[in-house]
Formats: sequence, structure tokens, C-alpha cells
Amino acid sequence: MMPTKNGFTNFIAGSAVPIIFILISAAAIPLSGFSATYLVQELLIRIGRNSFLILSLLIPIMAGMGLNFGMVLGAMAGQIGLIFVSDWSIVGIPGIVLAMIIGTPVAVALGFLCGSVLNRAKGQEMVTSYILGFFINGVYQLVVLYFMGWLIPIGNPTLVLSRGYGIRNAVSLMGMRTILDKLIPLEIGPLSIGAFHMDAVTIPAATYLVIAVFCFFILWFRRTKLGQDMRAIGQDRVVADSAGIPVDRTRVIAIVISTVLACYGQVIYLQNMGTLNTYNSHDQAGMFSIAALLIGGASVSRAGIGNVFLGVVLFHLMFIVAPMAGKNLMGQAQIGEYFRVFVSYGIIALALVLHAWKRHRDRMEVRGALRDSQKTGKGAE
Amino acid sequence: MRALQRFAVLCLILVLSAWLFYIGREHQVFLDNKTIEAGGQSFRALDFVRVSVAGKPPVELMPRDRDVMAAVGPRFTVKVELMDEFGEEVERVVEKEITPGFSGDMMLSLPLLAAGRDDFLLPPPTAALVREDREDSEKGEPPDAIFNGPDKEPPL
Repeated sequence: MMPTKNGFTNFIAGSAVPIIFILISAAAIPLSGFSATYLVQELLIRIGRNSFLILSLLIPIMAGMGLNFGMVLGAMAGQIGLIFVSDWSIVGIPGIVLAMIIGTPVAVALGFLCGSVLNRAKGQEMVTSYILGFFINGVYQLVVLYFMGWLIPIGNPTLVLSRGYGIRNAVSLMGMRTILDKLIPLEIGPLSIGAFHMDAVTIPAATYLVIAVFCFFILWFRRTKLGQDMRAIGQDRVVADSAGIPVDRTRVIAIVISTVLACYGQVIYLQNMGTLNTYNSHDQAGMFSIAALLIGGASVSRAGIGNVFLGVVLFHLMFIVAPMAGKNLMGQAQIGEYFRVFVSYGIIALALVLHAWKRHRDRMEVRGALRDSQKTGKGAE
Repeated sequence: MRALQRFAVLCLILVLSAWLFYIGREHQVFLDNKTIEAGGQSFRALDFVRVSVAGKPPVELMPRDRDVMAAVGPRFTVKVELMDEFGEEVERVVEKEITPGFSGDMMLSLPLLAAGRDDFLLPPPTAALVREDREDSEKGEPPDAIFNGPDKEPPL
């Protein structure tokens, strides 16, 4: 009886967040009144826009470093690349690739800094990376608001504030808006299955291709020596150290890779949006990506590619339907807006509580098993 | 050996960046249809002209008009159609390939281009005029100098 009960409890504990979200979405979709075509189209766009950012969180989890709140550092690096590319008026795919190239050394440097700091705060990586994000945000604002146009030459006057230095609050990326999404035009539908009907929807095939390549990279990376080392460190740091794995170095590499990938993810995200909010865009990147990953059923210590896609679908489905459902239900769209922000933060808190509870329960189980074995040993004597 | 490989990769990335800069640069092409003095001669503004840059839909310009179009890449074609006075018949077509390369924005003098002169490329008005517009906006005037030019009506 016990294993079945434990199995059910484990399943509920592990899938509580996705189950809650499936129930919320199931209730909100009919209330929103959106058509299937609209929902599917919006979801396809948002999967392409956000998946890369969320996938960048997987490697630090693999290395046992929890949710990398420091991914905003990578997002800032990507934005710096985009500011330079906009200044030089590079548009289209060359602009996107060049922004990634420019952002890469910045992301590597920030990732190295973040990894080094996290090595000095083992066991508190999440809160440390979260606070580090605030600190680097201050440095980013100093550079972008005061140094750009003054110490760092910015030639395009439309980017610079009227005082002569500092970047404007909004930078237009119209020259590269949805360029990657529209690179390979693909349309599917219309589709009719019984009573269900859906009109034709456009798929951002090139973005999906990039995401697929990234997924294969992660699968390949797990099998490499470095990937195996990370997994070993993720399971037990002390044992990995005893086995001769350079723990600190490997952890720094995990954060550097994650930061660089977050940089690319932010470039992909912003090319889809078409506007860069110089001082805000990166703020929400970390929080929303982490929330989406947790909603997909991931935990602080375990996450897979499946969690990313389930999470992005459920989280953004709620993003799409909540305001309209709130409006139809309460007469105010703002209710839905509040709801989705509340849910983003709430779900992170819930996941952290569930993780702490599960860890505590596992410890108690191990302790109980140890006590039982000691009792059995004494009885035998 | 490893350092050499890293150096080679770095060089490759730099070359790739330069190439991306070269092929991806967007140029603001200002089209200026104003009377202009060049080589001791005066070239009158064209009566009615239709201009297409890089194969995009054409814009129509009257005398003293200025417009701006965008072109991407190191090479593009400008097609100027000189219309009759009623704007119905195309009297003459001038096509010119322009190679801005690494340089940025530019201004084309349409009267000089139509006259077949090589000095039709003028310095772009953007930087100086945006500064003026900024000063104007601080005074509360509308930012229209880019399209109208800094100078007042030139003598026809």
C-alpha cells in the first residue's frame, strides 16, 4: 500500500503546478471567448519568442545551481548588442547575428563574474544571483544612461537623449522586427476535426529551427564529459569533488553558458517584439522565464526540455486568456492583468515552498530509513 | 597550438562581424530635388520626378521637395523617372548603381543625377539637422528640418 500512496503523493507534489495551471486555463479559455485560431496563433508566436530564454535555464539546474536568476545579466548583454547594432543601422538577419556576436563577450564576462560570486555563496545560489542581477542592473544603467554617447560613441542621434548622452527609453528595432520569424514562411491549416475548426496559422519556422538546434545541443551536451561532470556536481558536490571533478570551474562554465544563451534568447525575444525598452526589457526576462519553467513542472533541482515547452504553453496561454477572462467575468481587464502578475510571482513562491517541503520530506525519509536499519542491526545482534 | 586555434577563431569572428556590418547596413538615402550650383553651373530642380531606391515603390517629388528612403546593403540601384509637366508620361529614365560600402547615410541631388554628373552625392543632412531640430523642439517648434532642409527657398 505504502509505495502506491507514496507514488501518488510524489506525482501530485511533482505535478501540482502544471495541474493547477491546466485547471485555471481550462476555466479561463471559455470565459475569454477567444477563437481556437487566435489562441493557437498567439501560442505559436510566444513559444518562438520565449523558449530560447527558458532553455538557457536548464544548464545551471543540471549543475545543481538552481534557477539562474542571473540570466538577466545575459539579457542585458544582448540588449547592449542591440543598441550598438541599432546605432550602426544594421538590419535584418545580419543585425540579429551581429547583436549576438557583440553581446557574447559581454555575456561571457558577466557570466564569469556571476559564476565566481556564486562559487563563494554555495547553497544560496538563487538568492545571490537574484541580488547580483539588481547590482549589475545598476552598472548597466550607469553605462547606458551616462557612458553611452559620452565615453562610448553613439553616432545615431535618434538613439541619444536630448541632453546629448544616454540612450532613450525606447529603441526601435523595426529593421529587424520578426525577421527571424518570417525567414522561412510556413502556414498550416485550415483544419477541421469534427466540431473543432481552425483557420490557417503562420508558424515562425526559422525561430523553431533555432530552438530545435538548441534542444539538440542540450541533449548532446548532457552526454559530453562536461555535461556528465555537471550532472555529477548537481547530484552531490562533495562526491564530485572527491572524484576529481573541478567543481568550481565547472559551475562557472555552467553559468557562463547559461548567460551567453540568455543573451541570444533576449535578442530573439526582442527581434520578435520590435522594440527595446532600454531600462526595462531585461527586468522581466528572468522572472517570467523562471515562472514558465516552474509552471511546466520543473523544480529547483530537476528540469528538462519537456518542462520548458509545457511551461511556455501553459504560462502564455494564461497570459493570453486572463485579461479577457477577467474582463468578461468582472467587467475589468485589469483584474486579469493583476492575476497574471500575481500568478507569476506566486508560482515561483509555490515552487520554492514545494521544493523545500520535498527536500525536508526526503531528509526525513532517509533519516527514518537509517533509524530502521540501526534498529534492525541491534535486533540482529 | 590551442592558442593558435583560439586566435584563428577570433579572427574568423571579426571577419564575420565586418562582413555582417557590410551586408546588413541600412542607408538613409535622402532625395533632394532642389536647384543646386555645381562646377560654376546652376542645375534647376526637376519639375516632376518619380524615384525608386533599391526596387522599392517609387516616391514622387516636386521642385524643392526632399524625401528619404532606406536601402540595405553595400550596393543598390536608384531609378529616376523624369515625368512630363502633367505627370503622366515618362520622358526619360536615369538609372544609377550606388555603392555606399561601409559609409552610412547619403543625399542624392536629383538635378545633378539627371544631368549625368558624377558629383550627385551630397553629405547627408541628418546629424546637423537633428541637432537643429532638437534646439527647435526645445523652443517648441516642430521637428521638420530633415525633410525641408536647413536653407530657405533656393532661387529657381
